[in-house]
Amino acid sequence: MSDLAIEAKGLVKKFPARAGTGDKQPTSPTSMPENKKKRWQFWKKEPQATFTAVDGVDLQIKRGEIFGLLGPNGAGKSTTIRMLCTLLEPTSGTATVNGFDIVKQANEVRRSLGTVLAGERSIYWKLSGRENLEYFAALYHIPAAVAKKRVEELIERMEIKDRANELVEKYSTGMRQRIAIAKALLARPPILLLDEPTLGLDPQAARNLRELIATLKAEGHTILLTTHYMEEADQLSDRIGIIDTGKVIALDTPEKLKAQIDQQEIIKLEVTGWQEYIGEKLRSISEVGSLVARQQGEADLWEVNLQSNNSRAVLPKIVEHIGQNGTRLVNMNIVKPSLEDVFIQLTGKALRD
Amino acid sequence: MNATSLAIPSFTSDLRAFWAVVRREWVIFVRYPSWIISLLIWPILFPMGYLLTARALSGVDGSGLTNFQNTTGLTEYVGYIAVGTMIWMWQNIVLWSVGYSLRNEQMRGTLESNWLSPTWRFSYLLGSSVPQMVSMITLLIVSGLEYALLFGVKFNGSLLLTMLVILASIPAVYGLGFAFASVVITMKEANAFVFLVRGIVMVFCGITYPMAMLPGWMQSVGEWLPQTYIIHAMRSAALSTDGFAGISHDLAMILIHGAAWLLIGYVMFVFMERRARQTGAIGQY
Repeated sequence: MSDLAIEAKGLVKKFPARAGTGDKQPTSPTSMPENKKKRWQFWKKEPQATFTAVDGVDLQIKRGEIFGLLGPNGAGKSTTIRMLCTLLEPTSGTATVNGFDIVKQANEVRRSLGTVLAGERSIYWKLSGRENLEYFAALYHIPAAVAKKRVEELIERMEIKDRANELVEKYSTGMRQRIAIAKALLARPPILLLDEPTLGLDPQAARNLRELIATLKAEGHTILLTTHYMEEADQLSDRIGIIDTGKVIALDTPEKLKAQIDQQEIIKLEVTGWQEYIGEKLRSISEVGSLVARQQGEADLWEVNLQSNNSRAVLPKIVEHIGQNGTRLVNMNIVKPSLEDVFIQLTGKALRD
Repeated sequence: MNATSLAIPSFTSDLRAFWAVVRREWVIFVRYPSWIISLLIWPILFPMGYLLTARALSGVDGSGLTNFQNTTGLTEYVGYIAVGTMIWMWQNIVLWSVGYSLRNEQMRGTLESNWLSPTWRFSYLLGSSVPQMVSMITLLIVSGLEYALLFGVKFNGSLLLTMLVILASIPAVYGLGFAFASVVITMKEANAFVFLVRGIVMVFCGITYPMAMLPGWMQSVGEWLPQTYIIHAMRSAALSTDGFAGISHDLAMILIHGAAWLLIGYVMFVFMERRARQTGAIGQY
C-alpha cells in the first residue's frame, strides 16, 4: 500500500463563467475562447467563457498526517475537496484517494472517505441525532448489528447521549456540527475530509472540535482540513498548503513556512481615521515590505499590519505619517510572524479579504 | 492504531441503504401533519367544480344525461368525473413531490451528503418515491370511500381490477416524475413545465369528458399520453361491469408507456448525474 493517502497531479477544474461551486470567485481568472468575432448563427452555440476554480493543483498527503489547505474564500479549497470526494469531475489532471482513482473508482473512493461538507446543513433536521446516524450508517453499507453499536459509540463520544432522540432542529449549531462529524466517522474511514469544520461555532465548541481532530489523527486517520482560520491550521496541521486563485502557492510545515519570513518583524497598528493615501505613503518607505489594512467591525478602527526587516528604523517614519489629518494611532505592537503574515507576503492580501 | 473501514459492500447492504431512504422519507413525511388535510379534504374539494358544472348542464332532474350515457356507456357521471380528476391529481402530486424531491434535498443541503456515500444514486429518487406511492394509493382509496359515502357513487366494477390498473399505472406515472426530477435539478426551477404537463393531461386525456369530444388531432395527441389509457382503464374497472376484457387493451398500453417512461426517467437521471459532476450543479442552490 502506498504511503500516500491522497495524491493529486495537475488537478484543474474549470466552470462555465456563470456557474459556481460554492466558492465565490469574483476575481477568479476568466478566459474566453480565441475567436471573438460575433456572428448571429442561431444554430451554432457561442463558445462559452470559463473561469478556472482550480488551476493545476499538485498534492501529496501522507497517511496519518493532518494536512491543512489554507486560503481565502473563493481560492479553490472547496472545489479541490469536492473533486477529491467525487462530487465533481476534474476538467484535467488526476487524483487518487486511498490508492483509488477519483473518476474511475469513485465508489471505492467514497468508501475510503468520511467527509464534512456544509456542516449543520448536511444532516436532516426533521430526524433525531440517532435517526440521522442510523440512516447514514445504512448508506455507508455498515452491517446492521455493527451500525447499532457504532452509532451508540459515536453518540457517547460526541456527548449527545441525553439528547440523541431529540429532533436535530432543536440542537445548537455546535451539536449539529458534532452530528455531521459523527456521520463522517460512522464507517471508520481511513481518510477524513473536513471542509471548514469550525465555521460558525462558538469559541468553546471550536476548541472542542480541534481537540477531537487531534485525537482522530492519533487514532490513525489521515485528515485533509480546509480552513481560513490561520491559528487553527497552525495548531493542527503537520503540513500546510496555501492556495490562492486556484493554485497552491506554498506548501510546507507551519514552522518552515513561518521561517520563510523569520527575518521579518510584523508591526501591528490600530488606527482611527485611516485613509488609503496614508497606506500608499507607508508602502513607499523602503524598509516596509507589505501592508494590509482591515477595518475592525462597524467602528472607525482599523488594524494595519506591516512587514519590515528593520522595525527600529521604520517606526519613527510610520508615526510621522500616521499623525496627520485626523488619523490617530491607538495601539502598536511588534510581533513574530504568523502564518497569516506568510500568506500576506505571498499574496499581498489578507486571508479574510 | 490504523483506521479500518466498517463498510462491507454487498447486494444486501445496497438493499438496506434503499430501505433506509424509504424509512427516512416516511418518517419526515409523517412529521409534517399537513398531509392529513391533503388526504381527506383535497379529493372532495378538487372535483367539486366539475361536478357542479356537470349537474348544471344535465339539469336538476338529470334529463340531459342521455347524451352522456350514449357517448360513454355509463350513467354514473359523478364517478366518471371523480376518476378522471383523481388520476390527474395523482400525476400532478407526483410531479410536485417526486419531481421536486432531489431539488428539496439540494436546498436543504442534504443532497451532497447523501451523494458522498457509496450507495447507488438512483436509490435516493426511487426510495423517496415509495412513501409517496403509499400515500397516493391511500389517497385513491380514501377518495373512493368519500365518493361512495358522500356522493352516493356506485362503483359497479371490480376492486381487484381497479387495484390492478393502479399498480400497472405506477411505472408510467412515476417514470414521468423521475424524468422531471432530473430536469428540476438541472434547471433549478421547473414550475412552468409542471403547469404545462398537467395542462396537457387535463385537456388531451379527457379527465372530465370522453375523448370522442375532442377534434381528431387532439385525440391523436392524447393517444401518446399514458394518462389517457389510465383514466379509461380506471373508469372501466371501477364503474363498469365489462371485466378484464374492458381494460385489457388499455392495460397493455399502460405497461408499454410505463416501460418507456421508466427508461426515459432513468436515462435522464444518469445524464443529469454526470452533468452535475462536471458543472458542480449538485452543490448549487
